[in-house]
This record gives sequence, C-alpha cells and structure tokens, in this order.
Amino acid sequence: MSLNAARTHEVEDDLLAAMDYCYEQGWTDGLPVVPPDMKRVEEMLLFKGRPAETVLACHPATGLECTVHAAAVNAVMAGCKPEFFPVLIAAFEAMNEPNFNFHGSTASTGGSAPLLVVSGPMIDDIGMNADVNLFGPGNRANATIGRAVRLILLNVFRMTPGLSDKSTQGNPGKYSFCIAERARDNPWPLLVEDQNYPEGVSSVTVFAGGGFCNVENHGGNTPEQVLGSIADAMANYGSITLGQSVVVLSPEHMRVVAGTGWSKRQVQEYLFSHASRTVEGMRSVGKFRQRDYDQQHNEGGSSPLVETGKIHRGLSPDDILVVMGGGDAGGHSCFIPSWSRGRASIMQSKSIGVCIDCD
Amino acid sequence: MQLYDPTVTGPERNHVRATALDSLEGMTIGILENGKLNASEMLHEIAALFEQRHSCTIAPVQSKNNASAPAPGETLEALARDADFLITGLGD
Repeated sequence: MSLNAARTHEVEDDLLAAMDYCYEQGWTDGLPVVPPDMKRVEEMLLFKGRPAETVLACHPATGLECTVHAAAVNAVMAGCKPEFFPVLIAAFEAMNEPNFNFHGSTASTGGSAPLLVVSGPMIDDIGMNADVNLFGPGNRANATIGRAVRLILLNVFRMTPGLSDKSTQGNPGKYSFCIAERARDNPWPLLVEDQNYPEGVSSVTVFAGGGFCNVENHGGNTPEQVLGSIADAMANYGSITLGQSVVVLSPEHMRVVAGTGWSKRQVQEYLFSHASRTVEGMRSVGKFRQRDYDQQHNEGGSSPLVETGKIHRGLSPDDILVVMGGGDAGGHSCFIPSWSRGRASIMQSKSIGVCIDCD
Repeated sequence: MQLYDPTVTGPERNHVRATALDSLEGMTIGILENGKLNASEMLHEIAALFEQRHSCTIAPVQSKNNASAPAPGETLEALARDADFLITGLGD
C-alpha cells in the first residue's frame, strides 16, 4: 500500500474532536489515542527506511496483512516517538514467524499478551526502562511500544474482544507488555549476546505470555532458596504445562544467585529440575495427560534432567528465558507463564533496525 | 485535519459451501480432532452414533499438532480423500 493509496479521514481541526472521532470509529484500546495525523505518520515512516507497502506480518486465517504503513499509523496512535518504530517493526517480524502462532495466542480463551523483551544498546538510545517499576507505568518507550502492538492486533488484524479475541479474562499486559533487559550491574552475558547477534546490535524477543506472577522472597540468602521459590511459582498447578517460561530476576535476587558464581545455565537447569510436579499430584487436580508425559519423557530425546514420575515445566532448561530487570531494592522477581500449554507458541527474536540473514 | 485510517481491508475471498449430501447412509465419516483434552473421545462418541444410525464407516482420525493453528493442507487433503463428510470440534 503506497501512501497515496492509504485511506484517509477528514476531521475538524480540533484535537479533542479528533480523539473523539477515533473512539467513534472503534480504533482505540479503551484509552484515548493520538489522532493519526498524516504528518506524524510520515515522520514515523522516516525511521524505518523501507517501503511503506512492505508486509511485516500476515494473519494465517483471515489473510489480513500489516504493512509498514499500517504499523506506523498505529504507532502514532499509541504515542510512539519515531525512534521507537524499529522496535515495533522487529517485534512484528518476530511475531510473524509461524512458530509464534500469533493468531492462536491472540484469539484464544487463554488471554495471552505478547511480551516484548528488548536487549542491547537500543535500550539507552531510545530511553527504555530496564530499572525500577519495570513492568509498571512511567516510561514512554516501554508503554507505547507495547501499546502499539495491541493497537495493531486490534485495528489491523481485527482481534476484537468478544469476536475474534475470545480471552476468558484477558490480562493487564494486553494494554502494554514491553520491558528492557537491565545491563547495569548485570553479571551475565546479555540476552542479545546469548542470541549471537553481532556486537552493537539490539534484539527484541517476543513471548506469548499468560500473565504475571510476582515471586517474593526476602529471606532467601542462597541460590537454592531464591530459585526454589521461583521454581515453586513455575510449578503451581494453575501454571504447570509443557510450555516455555520467562523469568525476570530482580537485581537483589541476582546478587544472591550470581554472587556465589552461578551462571545463567545453572539457573536454567536448577529451575527446570525443580519446577515439577508428581504424576499423582497432576492427577489429583485433573491435569495429567499421558501424551504430555510421553512427550517429555520420550526415549532418547528428553532432557537428562527429566525425572521419572514427574512432569516438569517445559521440555528442557532451554525453555526458560532468564533475564535481569527491575530496581535495585526488593526481593521481587517474576515468572511469566506461557499462554501455550504445550508447543503452540514458541518465543522468537529478531534484530532491531538491521537486517541479518534476511531473505 | 487529515487522519490515516489504522485499519486495512482484507483480501477478496470466494467462500463456497460444500454441496450437501443426499443421504448419510453408508457414507464415510471423517474426524478432525484438535489435540485438546477430550476432543478425540467426544468426536469418536459422535462418530459412533453416525455408525449406528446411518451405517457410516469411520475414516482414519486426523489430528492437529497445534490446536490453535489452521490444519495443515496435507491434513485437509487426506480428509477430503478419505471421507464423504467431516465432524470436528474443540476439546477442553
């Protein structure tokens, strides 16, 4: 779609009236939006350097397509500054990977929201928050990039609540769910380094998150104590499945864990080993499925950490993404369960603003 | 003030209903189950009723590996080849 072909609406030259017009058209997430004035959209497009008609993502069931132009219009409405736009573009390129299955995760009763985890120097370049109140309000980049994702799902892909979005309860992350990985005082390689992107490149990782679970532990002074409480949250009967996990370690918990020399890999292995339930326990709540057990315990293919007679969360330690984020004070980490109970959505990552191994 | 429209128009598609069968008697029934809890059990119960009441034959069950994604083309092609009509439904 060229700029000339895009549909436009003439509204009176009054900002509040234009905001009301956006409501009347059904273009909002319930909160007021910035009217997508043509000049602002064109400024947004300058930050991408790709033709406006480039297709970023295609809905597998309806065939609806999100172009760079449509993304820019919704980014303006969400309140994004133009320099945020490359993060949004990369996020949708990641969500468009078939294994992310954005149709399923946004249509499902499970109430999923796409969590965006940004890693690398881009965070400081655009002023994202990786620190205090990480998931909360107060930072324009975090708030509006996440919000733009939802507006695109609503406006472009028509994932309309009650019609095509059948979330039973939804979750607050469906307004915005975007964080940055904290680099300051982080003793481990950053996520973007683990992903083997070249130095200086940033990445965004998308994960179909099923909610947010705070893990409080102010008394644990060893890695096993802190991680034991996180593993317990991951294994709660309401959450345990074969799906993937995101764990955001608070700096205070990180000091306990990494201060004794634990690596990220050790943490993943500990969490995978301990985030488990017995078969009897799973049966007691009606959640045991033999096919899940067989998938996790398949001969020759399962993780060596899998224990006979138990269901673990995920299929291997690789299914647990661990990053650091949040303010210096407080024994509050979090676990974010997958929307998927199995392998229906697998997290994906893309580089931001650069093309690596592109077609 | 001129605003860009944030929505897009969808592709034109020709949706056509399949021709109705004249009768179910002796037909082959296909089952497409989505892999969720109880989907297979429920659909087999229903297929058994067609077997009892209309002398239907039950074709090999086709399962989806991913309940929330469209069935792969080869799955649909196999069903079209093996069955005269199809039942599907959600588990859970």
